[in-house]
Amino acid sequence: MKKRGRLEIIKDILRVIQENRNSIKQTPLLRKSNVSTLKFKEYSKELLEKEFIKETQNSYGEKVISLTQKGYDFLEKYKTIISFIEEFEL
Amino acid sequence: MLLQGVGTELIYSFVIIVCSLMVYRATREMYELSSYKGIKYFRYAFLFFAIAYLFKSFIKFLLVYFGASRIIDITPGFVGMITLFAFMYFSSLSVFYLLYSLIWKRWSGRYGIITSFHILSIAIAFITITTTSIAVLIGINLFILAIAIIGLIITYNESRTHKRSKNKKKGSSMYFIYTLLFIFWIFNIVQVLVPSFLQFSQILVDLASLGIFLTILYKVLKKTGSN
Repeated sequence: MKKRGRLEIIKDILRVIQENRNSIKQTPLLRKSNVSTLKFKEYSKELLEKEFIKETQNSYGEKVISLTQKGYDFLEKYKTIISFIEEFEL
Repeated sequence: MLLQGVGTELIYSFVIIVCSLMVYRATREMYELSSYKGIKYFRYAFLFFAIAYLFKSFIKFLLVYFGASRIIDITPGFVGMITLFAFMYFSSLSVFYLLYSLIWKRWSGRYGIITSFHILSIAIAFITITTTSIAVLIGINLFILAIAIIGLIITYNESRTHKRSKNKKKGSSMYFIYTLLFIFWIFNIVQVLVPSFLQFSQILVDLASLGIFLTILYKVLKKTGSN
């Protein structure tokens, strides 16, 4: 299996949140993102700090993760970013 | 005639400065979203190109204003020295940063690389302002060019091998453009340091540099979708 790069992992995590109607609990997100627990903690910390995701409470009072506008922007621009990196050999 | 030549050169420099700053600006959102190091170093390289060109223009202006043939000949001496130092510092940095944007993955995890670029650039700038030997000045720039070309060849070969193993389409034309950029950038530096060395090909160097920067800007805007 191909090893995913940092940007691809971030895209996959954000995509999982988006595909779950922008509201998912941490454990299923970890499982569906297909990364180790340690790596997941690093990525979720980074995504929270960069305000790509936010932690909120759903109607049952459970802590859930959802995308911010910046998270949506990343998903929208992901292909452009990858294409730019490949074109300029960066 | 001389003033007209300088005027044309200043216009070329102005366009190149604008192109470089536009590359820097157009890639801002992509970098802010991705925090990708390659994009970061690429952006900084073009910011440094813009600053170096600004100092190059200022040097040309000083030469005309003081009626000197070399920047180190003008009085007061410190004005020429500081401008030349800044020009060489940012020129060297722009080459190192652009090269590093291509090879940073190979060197990731190693510390002090960026610091060593700054130290090396300061050393190059210091040698430039303290020596009067044309051979040393040309030698320094050939050294920078050699580093850049060797770095490009290594990354090009790696990129080809990587793409072949992933069955991706053949490499882009960017390596060719980067090579031209480095070669004509060094010509630009030599033009400033030893004006008599390339005086007959000055217009060619200016036009080629302009073409290269416009090509890169076009590719950047096409990819980023910026207006």
